[in-house]
Amino acid sequence: MSELQIGLLILIATIAVLFSGLPIAWGLTLVSVVFLVIFEGPSFLNNIAVVMLDELASFALLTIPLFILLGAAVGGTNAGRDLYESLHRWLVRVPGGLVIANILACGIFSAISGSSPATAAAVGKAGVPEMLRRNISARLATGSVCAGGTLGILIPPSITMILYGIATETSIGRLFLAGVVPGILLVILFAVYAWLSSLRSEKLNAYIEQQRFTWAEKMQGLARVSPFLAIILFIAYAMYGGIATPSEVAAISAALALVFVVLIYKAGNRESQWKIFRETVRESTMILMIIAAAAVFSYMMSLLYVTQTAAQWLVDLELNRWVLMLVINLFLLLAGMFLPPVAIILMVMPILTPVLEANNFDLIWFAVILTINMEIGLITPPVGLNLYVLKGVVPDVSLKDVLLGSMPFVFIMMGSMVLLSVFPDIALWLPNQMMGASQ
Amino acid sequence: MKAFREFVARLSDACAVIAGVLLALAIAVIVYMIVRRFIGFSTDWELEFAVFMMVSSLFLGSPYCLKTEGHVAVGLLETALSPHNAAWLRFASQVLGLAVVLFLAYLGYEKTLESFLQGEVTESSWAPPKWPLFATMPIGLGLTALQYIALIELPFSSRREQPNV
Repeated sequence: MSELQIGLLILIATIAVLFSGLPIAWGLTLVSVVFLVIFEGPSFLNNIAVVMLDELASFALLTIPLFILLGAAVGGTNAGRDLYESLHRWLVRVPGGLVIANILACGIFSAISGSSPATAAAVGKAGVPEMLRRNISARLATGSVCAGGTLGILIPPSITMILYGIATETSIGRLFLAGVVPGILLVILFAVYAWLSSLRSEKLNAYIEQQRFTWAEKMQGLARVSPFLAIILFIAYAMYGGIATPSEVAAISAALALVFVVLIYKAGNRESQWKIFRETVRESTMILMIIAAAAVFSYMMSLLYVTQTAAQWLVDLELNRWVLMLVINLFLLLAGMFLPPVAIILMVMPILTPVLEANNFDLIWFAVILTINMEIGLITPPVGLNLYVLKGVVPDVSLKDVLLGSMPFVFIMMGSMVLLSVFPDIALWLPNQMMGASQ
Repeated sequence: MKAFREFVARLSDACAVIAGVLLALAIAVIVYMIVRRFIGFSTDWELEFAVFMMVSSLFLGSPYCLKTEGHVAVGLLETALSPHNAAWLRFASQVLGLAVVLFLAYLGYEKTLESFLQGEVTESSWAPPKWPLFATMPIGLGLTALQYIALIELPFSSRREQPNV
């Protein structure tokens, strides 16, 4: 049996096992064990524990639970509501301002939390009921939060980018910087869409006429969230100033966030702390376990020579590089509809990295393309996490409305991927400016 | 059986608390390391210690993650089946999950024992023994297996309980 045929068998087995409902971490381990036993013999099974433990014992991986802790600390408080309320007071007289406030809140909150579902939940809880009360259509209200929430994995700090950095051995600092301008671009495009959608709503315009906020009211919420915004500035300063490694920055940010939520949101009691830490333990265990299992999966694929053969096969096809990019993105889009970004990146990047390099694609640029692609997966069925998170937060709105409301934003994201392909500097300019030209 | 399930649920919670404390320790040690470096002292054990805390936290957090359905799964097939067949599929996937976790716990145990007998230490200047870190794998995953047993729903029984979140 050729390596490509084995690879095809692995693909079919993986899909079957994962769709059965077995958790991804155990599913990947099971497939790896079965294929190792069949094709290499049981003696290789002894290496599985070593592969897992070696993968996990990495200082870079420590960024993941620590940034999750940062997000859980902030996400568990009313910071999302304060941020939304404050932006709303500033933007209320702008047409579409309510929705724009919502999208901006998502953009800023995602920079604090690094997690898409956390952003959708925190801003959605405050923003959607507010928008519905103020006559914004349920579709626009929920769609904007769903899409805005996805920015969590693009705007730094981003868990997805950290994983990509580990999988492809690219600089996490450079990847973070590459996400900034495309993140801002998406915020602007989302906001423009919200503005255009709100222009014709008479009821809404009548409402806007009645709204007035004093300067004190405008500053109130902002004052409460400003310490968290200071954390973002700290992250940017420490990481890109070369003062500390990503893990060190994550530890200090998490410590600061814990102090701030205790001081500002009175989250010092045992119950609040338990809530923050159990969320962190739960989510980081899930992600790290998938990372460990994906390491075993990659080990198996590499040992059976499938990774190398599949990559070589893709290179040998000699497709036009943009046709190749289109095919890769269609594949990722499909995978993203079913699997979380962590599993996709760790399973696919070992194959794709040499193919991308052979076709002269910049790995930092591709990280942004891949992340936006993964963002789309978060708001498309059947397992679009943000859709369900938001549906959970606002049970009155039907899932159909949440889904249809998100669709225009999916097209905007696809458009932004085309823009990034035509103008790669949208992603590469900032990292090249701040950290020198790409290696 | 009810008493067993409650006992396992408490055990998983207790492990999650320990996992949380270990993460907090990791943060404290990294912050301490940065402060020491800032005032000119060299650092040696902190980095490795923080990684040890993270890995231990991961394995000890695993039973709680399972209990609260935190392990992401794609249960698409289940939605396409009749309730009866879906119950059987759920049962099969839980048994498979249990088998995988038990197998990994066993591999972790073997690795821990080997490391202990060989007196294996890390390559850093601090050079702590590796076996305590490895031991968290069989302990955490062994408890995860126990949590699986407590959660498994027999497709032919009438019990349909939601996990105690």
